[in-house]
Formats: sequence, C-alpha cells, structure tokens
Amino acid sequence: MYQTIKLDNVLPHVFEERRSQMHSDVWLQQLQFQKGQLYLVEAASGTGKSSLCSYIFGYRKDFSGTIAFDDRSINDLKVSDWVNARKSSLSILWQELRLFPELTAWENVMIKNNLTKGFQPVYQLNEWFDLLDIADKKQTVIGRMSFGQQQRVALVRSLCQPFDFLFADEPISHLDDENSRIMGEIMMSEARKQGAGVIVTSIGKHIDLPYDKVLKL
Amino acid sequence: MKLVWKLLRQHISIGQFAGFTLANLVGMLIILLGLQFYQDVQSIFSSRESFMKKDYLVVSKQVNTASTLTGKSGTFSKSEINDLKLQPFAQSVGVFTPADFQVTCNMGMKELGLQFGTEMFFESVPDEYVDYASDQWTFQEGDTFIPIILPRNYLNLYNFGFAQTRGLPKISENVIGMITLDITIKGEFNTDHYKGRIVGFSNRLNTILVPEKFMVWANEKYGKGKELNPSRMILEVYNPTDDAIVKYFDENSYETEDDKLAQGKTTWFLKLMVGVVMAVGGLITGLALYILMLSIYLLVQKNTTKLENLLLIGYSPRQVAAPYQLLTLGLNLLVFILALILLTVFRGQYLAMLETLYPDLLVPGLGQTIVVGIVIFVVVTLVNLLVIRQKVATIWKRKD
Repeated sequence: MYQTIKLDNVLPHVFEERRSQMHSDVWLQQLQFQKGQLYLVEAASGTGKSSLCSYIFGYRKDFSGTIAFDDRSINDLKVSDWVNARKSSLSILWQELRLFPELTAWENVMIKNNLTKGFQPVYQLNEWFDLLDIADKKQTVIGRMSFGQQQRVALVRSLCQPFDFLFADEPISHLDDENSRIMGEIMMSEARKQGAGVIVTSIGKHIDLPYDKVLKL
Repeated sequence: MKLVWKLLRQHISIGQFAGFTLANLVGMLIILLGLQFYQDVQSIFSSRESFMKKDYLVVSKQVNTASTLTGKSGTFSKSEINDLKLQPFAQSVGVFTPADFQVTCNMGMKELGLQFGTEMFFESVPDEYVDYASDQWTFQEGDTFIPIILPRNYLNLYNFGFAQTRGLPKISENVIGMITLDITIKGEFNTDHYKGRIVGFSNRLNTILVPEKFMVWANEKYGKGKELNPSRMILEVYNPTDDAIVKYFDENSYETEDDKLAQGKTTWFLKLMVGVVMAVGGLITGLALYILMLSIYLLVQKNTTKLENLLLIGYSPRQVAAPYQLLTLGLNLLVFILALILLTVFRGQYLAMLETLYPDLLVPGLGQTIVVGIVIFVVVTLVNLLVIRQKVATIWKRKD
C-alpha cells in the first residue's frame, strides 16, 4: 500500500545538458502524486513522458534525483518489492501497450488476472469487453487487432489487479471520442472503487476528466 | 501458468532440444555403461577363491647358486622389511611367519586303501591378507583342530601326476575336505598330536597355510624361542604396474611371481580403457550441456520482449524462469531414465556373453552406477537451472 509517489529533483540523463534551461512542472521539481487524486501530465513528444513511467515502474534507471514510494527510495527496492508493487500497488497502461501478440485478447487479460488470482470476476471482464465494443474480439489473436482495439484490451488488463496508482500513458491516442469517453468512465469508476490515484499523460488529445491537477512536462 | 507456458514455448526449437537430448543420452550412456562394464569385468579378476587380490605381490629373495653354496639365508631382516614398508608404492606389508617346529602329517582313508605320511612345514600370514573367508579359518588356544589352506597345484600334482601314474583314485576338493589329517608337532621339548583338515585351496599362494593365531601360539609353545626372519612377504601395492616396484626389486635382488604383475597390468589396462571411454562420455555430456545452454540462450534471447513484459506486469523472475527450468528438468530426467533402460539392455547382452565364459561369475548390481547417474543428472540439472535463473536475472536488470 503506497500513499504517495514523491519525485525529488528528478531529471533524465538525456536532459542533463539542458539542466539550466529546464522549465517543467515535473523535472527538477519536488512533486507528490497522492493516492485518490487525478493528474494529467501534458507534454510535447520527446519531453520524457514515457521515461517518467519507466522510471516509476523500475524499468529504467537513467535519471538523477530521487523517486520514492512514500518515504522509501525506489533504489532501495528489492526484486520481490518490485514484483509486489507491479502486482498489487502500481498498474500501468503502457503507451506501447506491452501486450503479447501471440495470445488472444482474452488470454492477454487472463494472464494478468490469473497472476492476481482472479482479482476481477469474469462477469466484470465480460462487461468491460462489451462496453468497449471488443466482445467479438475475445478469441482474436492480438497481432491481428488494430492498435485502437489493442489499447482497449490493454486497459482491461491494467485493471486486473489491486492498485494504489494507475498510470495511463497516452491511453486514447488511437480511439474515437465515444470510446475515449467509455474508457475514461471505466478507468475512473475502478480507480474510485479502489481509492487509487490516477496519472494520465497526453500529448494533446486527452480524456475529458475532472483532473485535480494538470502538470506540464 | 498454462498461458505463460503457451507464451514462452514460442521459438522453442524441437531440433535443438532433440539434439541435446540425444547427445546427452549418448554421453550419459557411455559413462554409465563404461562404469558398469568395469565393475562387471572387475568381478572376474577378484573372484572369491583367489588368494591374492589383484594388487598384492608375494616378495621373496632370489635364490641362486652362490647363495646356495655360501648358505646365505634368504630371509628378510627387520630393516629390510621396514625399508619396504616405507616405499611409496607399498600400501601395506605382511610377513610370512615360518614355523619354529617340526611337523609331520599322516593322512589316510582306509576305505580307499590309501595311507601315507610326510614331513611338512607350516607358514602363516596375517588374516587380512587371506581372502578365503570362512568360519573355519580360526584357532583358539586349546583347540586340537587346525585348519589348513593348500596351494591348488598340490592337489593337481597329486591328481594328474602321482595318482595318474600309480593308478590311484583322483580326489576332488570336496573329498579332500573330508579327510582328517593326523598332525604331529615336534618341538624342542615336547611333542603333541593334532587333527587337521584342509579347508580351502589357493591358486596363488605357494605354501601350506595355517591361521596366524595358531602359528603365534605354537611358535611360543614349541619353538626354540629364537626370533625367525621371514623368507617371504606379502606386499599390498597401490598400482602393480608402477615402475618403481620393478626397479626396487632389481636393486635389492627381490623377486615376485610374474603373473601377479601381468594380471595387475590387465586390470590397469582395463581401468585405462574404461577411463578413456568414460572421459569421452564425459566430454559428450559436457558438449550436450553446452548445446542446451546455447539453445536456452537463444530461446531466452528470442523471447526477451515477452519475458520482459511478463516481469513488468508483475510476474516474478522465478515464475518466469520456471517453465524453462521445468523443461530442462524434464528433458534431463527423460535422458536419465532412457540411459538406465538402454544400460540394462546393453548390459544384458554382454553379461550373457560373459556368463558363457565364466559360468559362476558373481556380478555386482547396478547400485553404484545408478548413484553416479543420479549425480550426473543432478549436476547437469543444477547447472541448467542456475544458467536459466541467471539469464532471467539479466533481463530483469536489462543487461545483455
């Protein structure tokens, strides 16, 4: 259970030479993401939005400064801590989705839901598939689905676990307005149910939601 | 787990894994078969009744004309015995204790009309050098019965030489075991009568052997009290083909029966051959292991993205490694079981042949070979498991 994610003076290595010209609400700032709050991180492409997600998920470490879960620096986390965090505290909808192209849409969701011992009941998953208009694609291999469809599968997968924070890295880049709205509703209702913080990133087009805070990267 | 396996079995090359299985099977089979064959054949050399084990030598001094004429004693002094004990090739040294009294023996079977007496002698060696194991090979003070072991060629001499030309009946080993010998021991001051029986024959030892316990006791009772130097020694050696033995014997004018060294050589060559064969087997197993390592590396490399994504959605490195670990464990187990089955089949074939050559051959069981097989299985599997874990760990750390 994490209450806050703290960023202290964080800067990706690639921006090191531009350190003095940094004008960002995130980089080189003291920043806290609180549980229960909704954030929008707006960015032009190439400003390190996906890097931020990678840092927080322990996937990359090419930054200076400190990122801490509550008061524990992520540099001190052990392998088992990360496994637990990714399984039951932090969830993410990656920009590149990270689905398994060889498996079907349903299998991609179940591979996560099995890991969390059936965190979401099957009827809930079916309901989401219906709402997102991909119910007929359940048995379709991910590799044969459009990116927009894949984004919706990835959203369902990201909800198949308990989380304190949900990251959505450009979740609607390939969705129409109607599907974006539905996605936003599903995401927010689940986050509210779990009392989680939500961090949405966007490079322009973003889901229309009552954001508590908007940060420019 | 089923889904994870479905995902991770992508890119598994049946060819590579079949290659590994086959190569590992061949390697393991060669090692196990070599080991079992060695044990089985070894049992021919160390058959129960042979007095000398393979690596024992009987040492005596050379007898030549000069020593006969000068009356020089052919016995070993204390310092000579100690010197031999100190040689690096000598594992242990036992001395033949001669009798310090006179022995006369009368034997006969009245039913066969056969009766004769002869003067004779006794010698003894420490019991650990006697590999004729029997309850009868013992003596307690006060016993009037003395067990005796004769060289087998004495019996042959009688049966095929003496009895043949005189028209006397041939005597089997069993029959001779039933004959009671009347033994008279004449010491310096007293004379006593004992009963004796031949309890066994030795192919290797050319002496009339009695238990050492008896000899010690009798020498004290009947002897002149003078310490007697032994004329022969039994030498237990580490390696009968050691050049140093021949050299040492030449320098000191000692000699030994040649066939001991010859048999030792045969054993040694057998060991050498089996050693080479097993080394080849080991090499093949090693290469097979290498093939498996390469295929796993390749497999993990091809599936890096999948493994990485599994880790990112919360699967632990252990869970991700498990399918590949189970796969190799299964393959290794299969190889082990197949190797044992093939071993039994091949062994059955050569055992049938060996048994026609040596009908009363007592071959050892598969126990030791199975233990070695298990050790190989465990070592190979452990290496596999560790490498896979290592490989997944590098993906976790995103280092190649």
